[in-house]
Amino acid sequence: MEIHVDKDACVGCGLCVKDCPMHVYELQNSVSVAVRPNNCMGCLSCHEICPAQALEHRGIYAARRHYIDIKVCEMLRKVV
Amino acid sequence: MSAGYIDELHEAFQSDLVYRSEDIPLECSPRPKEMEQTLHGVMKLNGLIIRSLEEIAGRGANAVTYRAGKKFGHEVAKYFQKREDVEGALHELSDLLRGQYSFEVWKPEDKETFIIEENGETFIYLVFHDCIVRQTLRRNGLDQGGPLCQTLFGYVVGAIEEITGRKAKLEIVHTGPNACLKKLVLK
Ligand code: SF4
Ligand code: SF4
Repeated sequence: MEIHVDKDACVGCGLCVKDCPMHVYELQNSVSVAVRPNNCMGCLSCHEICPAQALEHRGIYAARRHYIDIKVCEMLRKVV
Repeated sequence: MSAGYIDELHEAFQSDLVYRSEDIPLECSPRPKEMEQTLHGVMKLNGLIIRSLEEIAGRGANAVTYRAGKKFGHEVAKYFQKREDVEGALHELSDLLRGQYSFEVWKPEDKETFIIEENGETFIYLVFHDCIVRQTLRRNGLDQGGPLCQTLFGYVVGAIEEITGRKAKLEIVHTGPNACLKKLVLK
């Protein structure tokens, strides 16, 4: 697993440090650093909690989403 | 109710299909894409049942759903090959759950083996990736880890007990939007 923290976006709130059950992050000089990326099991709680959307995971398994509204997506596809 | 409306209703259910008793449908109908509304309906209904159960039974709701799941796990796994090794049992289990749940055995990097012994407990970490329960809860804005998750817990425990003949327990370590970490404690 490769985890990238956008240093410019990170506001150093430490929420990811507190929330990650595998203690993947540490705050260093008020910026989050992924110090144990191999301990990540891909829950994406950190993405949900990060107010700055500063995180990026590479090589993650994305769980199947069953509740996307197909009609809405089709409309969006026409617009986007 | 107007006659026109009734005729329209009847028309929707008329067909030229000849159905013989020996006919076994080989495909489900309608196509998966057209099932979206059905799926939403099932998810909504499940969410409402769970919410009402919690309102009425409070903390007892977990016990009810856990027990239901456990019975289901025993029932389904009865037909599977019995085996003593946990690894084999987990393999059987992933076949059993295919399509609804997918999981993998997992370990933190400081552990040497997947079967971990710590504080007098023997356990295995399982990461659940695809999960119809998580999807249902998020679809309905409900918290993870409540009664609906207990159904899955019971199901896994029941199936493992049935396959291995050993007592087991499943604990939530963490629930996330994309995966959940659980601890399968073997007794
Ligand atoms: S995805 Fe989960 S385990 Fe991985 S870093 Fe984020 S919170 Fe931690
Ligand atoms: S939650 Fe986001 S903003 Fe806060 S410390 Fe972590 S990466 Fe930085």
